Amino acid sequence: MILAHPQKCVSCHLCEGACSFQHEGAFQPAKSRIHVHDFVDEAMYVPVTCFHCKDAPCLSNCPTYAISRDPETGMVSVNDDTCIGCKMCMVACPFSVMSFHEEKNVSQNCDLCGGDPQCVKICVYDALEYTDVEPNEWMIRLNQAEQPAGAAS
Amino acid sequence: MPYGWIGQILRVNLTSGTAAKEPLNMKWAAEYLGGRGLGTRYLYEEMDPTVDALSPENPLIFATGPLTGTYAPTGGRYMVICKSPLTDAVACSNSGGYWGPELKFAGYDMVILEGRSPKPVYIWVNNDHVEIRDAAHVWGKNTEETEDALRAETDPQSRISGIGPAGENLNRVACVINDKSRAAGRSGVGAVMGSKNVKAIVVRGTGGISVADPLQFGALVFEAMKEINASPTTAMALRGLGTASTVGFTNTVGILPTNNFQAGQFEHADAIGGQTIANTVLKRNKGCYSCPIGCARVTETLPGSRYSGHGEGPEYETIFGLGSDCGVGDLDAVLYANYLCNLYAVDTISAGGTVATAMELAERGYIPQEDLAEVGTELEFGNADAVMRCLEMMSYPKGKFSRLLAEGGYRLAEHYGHAELFMGSKKQDFAAYDARGAKGMGLGYATSNRGACHLRGYSMAVEWFAPQEMRLDPFTTDGKAAVQVELQDKAACEDAVGICTFSAFGGVTPDKLAPMYNAATGENLSLEEWMKAGDRIWNLERLFNNKAGLSRKDDSLPPRMTREPLTNGAVQGQVVELAPMLE
Repeated sequence: MILAHPQKCVSCHLCEGACSFQHEGAFQPAKSRIHVHDFVDEAMYVPVTCFHCKDAPCLSNCPTYAISRDPETGMVSVNDDTCIGCKMCMVACPFSVMSFHEEKNVSQNCDLCGGDPQCVKICVYDALEYTDVEPNEWMIRLNQAEQPAGAAS
Repeated sequence: MPYGWIGQILRVNLTSGTAAKEPLNMKWAAEYLGGRGLGTRYLYEEMDPTVDALSPENPLIFATGPLTGTYAPTGGRYMVICKSPLTDAVACSNSGGYWGPELKFAGYDMVILEGRSPKPVYIWVNNDHVEIRDAAHVWGKNTEETEDALRAETDPQSRISGIGPAGENLNRVACVINDKSRAAGRSGVGAVMGSKNVKAIVVRGTGGISVADPLQFGALVFEAMKEINASPTTAMALRGLGTASTVGFTNTVGILPTNNFQAGQFEHADAIGGQTIANTVLKRNKGCYSCPIGCARVTETLPGSRYSGHGEGPEYETIFGLGSDCGVGDLDAVLYANYLCNLYAVDTISAGGTVATAMELAERGYIPQEDLAEVGTELEFGNADAVMRCLEMMSYPKGKFSRLLAEGGYRLAEHYGHAELFMGSKKQDFAAYDARGAKGMGLGYATSNRGACHLRGYSMAVEWFAPQEMRLDPFTTDGKAAVQVELQDKAACEDAVGICTFSAFGGVTPDKLAPMYNAATGENLSLEEWMKAGDRIWNLERLFNNKAGLSRKDDSLPPRMTREPLTNGAVQGQVVELAPMLE
């Protein structure tokens, strides 16, 4: 998964450019699968992308079983052929990181660029890290999830 | 859609209240690269350079470059181009942040504002949908209040570029501010926006930008990123301490302008320098769109300070303008003055220069007591309260003296019969390097098409900051003209394609940038053609200036630079010998 370190982020949004360039062939942050949430007045910038949750609500809520988990890597992915574009997964995702591709009419999440994530590669600030999921990292993710909420209050 | 470009511009006629889309002139885009060059080409075509800068006939152009919005390192810039009310020459102010890329994502390479709206308006650009909306409720509000209000009534993800009270009140050093604290600062472009009764342009875009050769472009960008990340200038100095990292150095050698350029060393330089900022008021670092350097500082005044606020800054130029040049050595005061400038939307360099000019005029007794009474506090070097008061007065001019402050330093000094005390060229204030200790810089200030400016040909980079073996003697005039011409052409290209001049410090030199531009647009410029394009942009600006009535005699420096030697530091005894360099 891609682990974000918000305290290192400077809000340059390079990750969004790199993600959309990789997947859409264009620089188009609106279609990026990673987003930097800027809390400007609080000086807090939080990159958020798919956490590939252990208990993934998107997966369990998909009516057509189009979302599955790779048993080896743990990656959660959407099958374009069976996705019917009902957006249930978007409603279910607690982090709002499931996005929607209007032209293809399917949901999409971070696919880790097949093991060479471009967002991590371009982040010169080391705010993004590509790492294997380990049990105690759930705490790190939880911590991350709480940070933006704390910053916004 | 042409590669690197959207291929469409937005033209808003404010007099009739209509907006129209039209195709981008691709021939000009190729010849003038984009941004600064392309915008000036449109300006040159569409206006008579002799008209008054604050008249409806002066169009205001917001231009991006072909690399704006891509992930090219520092590819987040846009430029504001018009005739300047400060210099009566061409104005071209450059800003980072997020607004420029957002404009391209919305589907426009440029916005041209024409005419004058009968009442205050703002322009809401939501992808294809363009609306001219009433701005009565935000007119008079500062930039932060305006941004919050306009974002709340448009889109939470919109980006906003607009003016503050200074621009509304036609202050000649007013700037355009986007994203609350990034400024298209110089030459009074904010006053032109104010003269058109336009408060802001609010943009939201969800589209994308394609490039001609994605593989090649990606490879070049990743290579450049690596280099920037390894360069001591960009990855250590600028990222670590911001532009304020320069204070210690310039003060030591003696070219940190102090008390309106009367000295080159400031006794409180350490207190307002980069290291102190990092150790005390710094909250965190920030970067503009697509920036791998991240030199911006988010700061907050210390608790219990006389001045209290938070925001972005200060940059090196601000520390000079509102700090050393006014004799202010209190960091919290410099911070607060910086925040005020952002809220009122005035250029920190020229506002500081104007206040410093006023202080020297006052100290020499050239300003009558009844005029000074308006300030309400002693107008003398080192008085931070006087700086705050002057910033407020020039942004909300009411009395005679405040109206003079709003005219900028040159007109102020001229009014009191001592134009020689104004430190600048073409009526625009100098930046924070005393040219007596970097003579190429002096030539750069004098010849800059938009009036004194450090970024038109940043010869500090070769006269002081370059590695020892590549450094040129800062005190000689020999060969400086050729170096300055090369620097000016390079900078013109950077401004045109939409990247920040700091990328060059990290190794993105023309031999790297030209191929990147080629891969993005599908053009095939050689290095030689690239530099020639920079030259073309420069000459076009010159042509505009000549038609506007400027000539070679305006490539001048005040007598303080050419006759009064500096008295301390490594640069002791130096003056600028301008005439031989101009030849």
